[in-house]
Amino acid sequence: MGGTLGIIVDISLNSLVLSGVFLIVAIGLNIIYGLSRIMNMSHGALYAVGAYTGYTLVASGLNYFAALIIAPIIVGAIGLLIERTIIAPMRKRSMVYTLILTYGLMFFIDGMIKYVWGNKPCFIDLPAFLQGTMPILGTEYPIFRVATLFLIAGIMGGLMLFLSKTRVGLILRASSTIPEMVSCLGINMSYVHMGAFVLGCIMAGMAGIIAGPLTTIDPLMGSEMLISSFVVVVIGGLGSLRGAVIAAILIGVVQTLAEFFITDLAMVIVYILMAVILAFMPRGILGEGKFE
Amino acid sequence: MENTTNIPGINKRVHPLKIVMIIIVLIGLALFPFISENRFYISLINEMMIYGLLAMSLDVLLGYTGSLSFMHNAYMGISAYVVGLFLIHLSPTSLWLACFAGIIFTSAVALPVGWVQVRTGGLAFALLTMAFGMMFHTIVWKWYDVTGGDDGLMGMPNPDITLFGWNLGNSGNPVTIYLFTLVIAAICFFLTRRIINSPFGAVLEAIRENEDRASFIGINVRRYKLLGWMLACMLASVAGALFILYKGYIGPTTMSAFAGAGVLMMVLLGGMGSLWGAFVGAAIFIYIQDYISTMTEHWEIFLGLVVIFLVLFLPTGFAGLGEHLKRFRKA
Repeated sequence: MGGTLGIIVDISLNSLVLSGVFLIVAIGLNIIYGLSRIMNMSHGALYAVGAYTGYTLVASGLNYFAALIIAPIIVGAIGLLIERTIIAPMRKRSMVYTLILTYGLMFFIDGMIKYVWGNKPCFIDLPAFLQGTMPILGTEYPIFRVATLFLIAGIMGGLMLFLSKTRVGLILRASSTIPEMVSCLGINMSYVHMGAFVLGCIMAGMAGIIAGPLTTIDPLMGSEMLISSFVVVVIGGLGSLRGAVIAAILIGVVQTLAEFFITDLAMVIVYILMAVILAFMPRGILGEGKFE
Repeated sequence: MENTTNIPGINKRVHPLKIVMIIIVLIGLALFPFISENRFYISLINEMMIYGLLAMSLDVLLGYTGSLSFMHNAYMGISAYVVGLFLIHLSPTSLWLACFAGIIFTSAVALPVGWVQVRTGGLAFALLTMAFGMMFHTIVWKWYDVTGGDDGLMGMPNPDITLFGWNLGNSGNPVTIYLFTLVIAAICFFLTRRIINSPFGAVLEAIRENEDRASFIGINVRRYKLLGWMLACMLASVAGALFILYKGYIGPTTMSAFAGAGVLMMVLLGGMGSLWGAFVGAAIFIYIQDYISTMTEHWEIFLGLVVIFLVLFLPTGFAGLGEHLKRFRKA
């Protein structure tokens, strides 16, 4: 394993992969928040559900790429169910209630995960051609991680095209700025809220199945990711998609570096960085609510 | 003393029946260890009072200031660790000094955290309480040399509780620590009531109802929110000092997110914006937890379901139940 350059390449690629996962989860949170002003505390739990369903699908003999599509759809369906049954009736109430409600939901889903899959860690088996390593600038880097980077870039590009080029994307962008106007134009805001929630849940599930093979899948992964994505969302600015990109890369890099140099207290460095940034920019790097 | 709550401009007349009720409950609690010999119930009620104090401190934040703290137990935990470390390493006998150190240290930690949180606004405030709470949890969990990591803080000495030279008994004795907890919790309760019913409390409620309007009439919203936060954290640190004296042990699970959700549920059960409700909520919660956790390991599912149910159908909690019934009877 080659020298300093190899370590640098390793660290930078690892931090990019981590940033990518953070980004997809945080964008999902931001879509929901930007459109319906709901902060979904159960987002991390849904991410874990994505990883676990992916594990079950792959373990039952399905191709990983098929699971990559099916698992997010399942999580989206769960999101639809949640939105229609308990989130929609709460729209008119104060934000504190939805926070507590989805927090309760998080414990419910986490408990169900432990009930269904148990406490032991799981691993997703990758197809053979993704399992090897490839040489990049003097280091042997896992092929799967490189593939993940391309996949995340593809997802983000697709999302950007969806928001900027399609009619639905136009409605979503308009609803994030002037919801009253959009509903005056004859668009049912209830469906917009529903669509935003389901889209956010699909993003969470997608992040779960992507991150599944990178780490071990255990019941704690959901709450860990929830905290990390909060850090990203708050630093980037609530509801701001571009801010999330900047913050995700920042946090990914800092966390990877901190884990490399001091293993145990790595997250503390991240929190302190967050506190420092927020002390100077209380509304996050790009401010609130820039939905584009 | 609680009659002094009628400040001009704030219409909060205390019903005489309520005062009688409170006094009866206090006397009943004080006599309980002399009537019942059952050690189990004495220690259960002791735990209820400590968590009631913690829930009340969260209620000051949630019910009166309108800010949500997901991991308020972290501040109880910090205080408990500081008191424990003080008694173990510095002086095993000076109880009051240790408690004082715990409260001061917790406030010193809570001040910068609160300062950052208050500046970011309502929702980010709630998310940040979680992030910072996890930070404290991680520190306590991983800093093995000082906190004992996963094993928790052990080897706590049991100092004597003294007041102006009187020896009131040893804190290792369940009855003594029970009465000590009762007295401290009652003092904190009346003190908090007094603060909440003062003009300061009215300002906090104004901020809760509408932050923009409160700032229009010249209230420095951030400063009052910070003061509310500091009050809540100091009360939590008192609960922490009582906790370590009662248990003689503290581990990182006391500071976990799950335990924080439990405290939130106590407030929901009791009803937001009701100080005595927080104690009732804590009592119900501790009792149920004690009962259910012996039966099933999937206590999480139950907790989640009850929180969802409470928010959807009974957002006023136990304290609002009376109002509901009254309206129901009229209709």
